[in-house]
Amino acid sequence: MKIKLSSLFVALTILSLILAGCASQPTPTPAVEQPAQPQAPEVTEAPAMTEAPLETEAPQATEAPAEEPAAPSGEPIKIGFFSPTTGFAAADGTSALQSAQLAVKIVNERGGVLGRPLELVYYDDAAKPDQASAIARKLIEQDKVVAAISGSYSGATRAAAPIFQEAGIPMLSAYAIHPEITKTGNMIYRIGTLATTQGRVGAELVGKVMNLKKVAILTIDNDFGISLTEGFKQHAAEIGLEIVLEEKYPLGETEFRPIIGKIKASGAEVVYATGYYNEAANLVSQARDEGLEIPIIGQEGYDSPKFIELAGEAAEGVIITTDLNRDSERPMTRLFLEQYEATYGEKADMVGASAFDAVMVLAYAINTAGSTDPQAIVKAISELKNFEDVASGPFWYYTPEREVVRPISSQIVRDGAFHLYHEFTDEALVKP
Amino acid sequence: MLLLQNLSNALILACTYILMAAGLTMVYGVLKVLHIAHASVYTVGAFVGVLAFTRLGNFWVALAIAMFVSGIFGVLIYRSTYFYLLNSPRTVPLIASVGMFVMFTDLLQKPFLMGAYQRAFPAGGAGLPAVKTALFSFTAKQVLILLVTVILLAIVYVILTRTKLGLSWQAASMDRDMASAVGVNLNQSIAANFFLGSALAGAAGVLVGVYNNSVFATMGDLPSYKAFIIIVLGGMGSLPGAILASLILAIVENFLVASIGYVLPRDSIAFLVLILMLMFRPNGLLGRE
Repeated sequence: MKIKLSSLFVALTILSLILAGCASQPTPTPAVEQPAQPQAPEVTEAPAMTEAPLETEAPQATEAPAEEPAAPSGEPIKIGFFSPTTGFAAADGTSALQSAQLAVKIVNERGGVLGRPLELVYYDDAAKPDQASAIARKLIEQDKVVAAISGSYSGATRAAAPIFQEAGIPMLSAYAIHPEITKTGNMIYRIGTLATTQGRVGAELVGKVMNLKKVAILTIDNDFGISLTEGFKQHAAEIGLEIVLEEKYPLGETEFRPIIGKIKASGAEVVYATGYYNEAANLVSQARDEGLEIPIIGQEGYDSPKFIELAGEAAEGVIITTDLNRDSERPMTRLFLEQYEATYGEKADMVGASAFDAVMVLAYAINTAGSTDPQAIVKAISELKNFEDVASGPFWYYTPEREVVRPISSQIVRDGAFHLYHEFTDEALVKP
Repeated sequence: MLLLQNLSNALILACTYILMAAGLTMVYGVLKVLHIAHASVYTVGAFVGVLAFTRLGNFWVALAIAMFVSGIFGVLIYRSTYFYLLNSPRTVPLIASVGMFVMFTDLLQKPFLMGAYQRAFPAGGAGLPAVKTALFSFTAKQVLILLVTVILLAIVYVILTRTKLGLSWQAASMDRDMASAVGVNLNQSIAANFFLGSALAGAAGVLVGVYNNSVFATMGDLPSYKAFIIIVLGGMGSLPGAILASLILAIVENFLVASIGYVLPRDSIAFLVLILMLMFRPNGLLGRE
């Protein structure tokens, strides 16, 4: 018995060490305060800019020049990149990395930055904070990158941000949406939409666009889900939605049937469910299996062709809020969607679009700054206006809190693909 | 009504645990090795199953192929590693096992094998009908899981109780040296044990893959410890114990979630139950000693 128990103990210890890696999702910090009140921003251009793309005076430095661009030459300009290409988050990390590489290729085809080729130096952080901070140091000290992009989750991004801030190197968070990331300091910018903002748009979608009242909320228990739900509930109270049921579930959950029974009994007209594509696929399949037929509203976590592949028929009619509008006619969106599929044989997702856009923003900023001086790069990003050279754009402008302001779209699954359902362009609504 | 529906859902969840735990407890019974890499066999089974299914389009053939390949994979694990460690202290094969599990998971995640993305396993209910009554219902997928589990358990039961092979496992589990001395061909017996146990894990992987319609390289992370807890609960090496523990765990999980919600991650309930068991019945529900 003694031996049995001790080996049991060893096994549990070793296993817990391994799994700790997977489980070390950032602990949900309750601090999801709205990022400092928007102090009446210089609303230079009205957000009606969505349909008025290219004719603004915006310095479209990287926008396809009229004549053949000169091939970039000389010493490459290095930007750092890290994302999880192994471990539980490998799917997102791989999408992000491939998209960033695609963006670098496009930038170099257009003549590079400052006439020099752009080079992506990338590492796998396995979505682990400790690895991300080691990678940040390596990128700064050994690779001497001029700027960096996090293609990783919030936990890892939060660990890396202070290191870049301290070193005075600009860092862009592609799709990690924890509010604390950009609060690190003036060198840290975000590409994705802050979760609370997206939650707010979700409530608007339910209450104003779909005209439904009784909501059941299902929250994935991490910083992502909690921030989304917070934004949703705040706006739900403002527009008079009734929340009839609220439940949390853990990351990676596969069994939603018991909760679905409760939703059915609650009398809800609609479900607002946060989560990633794998949880979402299980949730909607099981909901339809168990005969729960009310609309299910998701958000950018669902935004992957894998969601539709895994959920199959059940995905039809699911509506999500996201940054990537699949039906957009904007040239950069089309370019990204088409080239990604052609290059990698998979359909692109929102995570990839964000990483792609991070490279495009950096390339633009370096070109506009005319140098690789960190302060000049940061200044160029903060002054960016109606930036069209991105897949998930246009980026109207950055707030002083370094959050991007742009239209947010909602997409519906029809015939096995995401299509535009509604676009939210009210600046007061989409502004973080 | 909701109660019965929850119970029937719990029964299906239990089936997915049973197949995984049955293989593990069989291996433990004979070798006294905590075979964590069993979860790799489960993942490989699901992977082979989805490959075979997409190429051949027939679920039953895919299941058979997946179980066969998993069985062979399990035997290879035994012959390449545990075979050499049988006389070492028991923590040695355990650590080797954990090492193999991590290595296989990382290897499977390479782009030339499973890659980073989840794959769909759209076998549906393999042509079986859904069952719908006024009180509870099973989807076609759930009927499939129940059916396959019952058939496989019946086969295992017959082998264990009615064949020489089963007898040789019982002998080996009591005393390996003695069994060897009275003429049991230990090598063959253990290899067959690994083959059957691993084939069950492969079947579990296929069924879970179909149930959740997804197969991915890290899908073994959870079963690696949950199956392990189940066999401790049931009593190490006891097959009826593993079945009983699977049922109890699935029911507890389902009802806790249905009544209070996910107060704590559903998967951590298993650990709570484990702690209680070790405090009050350290030999497990149906354990001897």
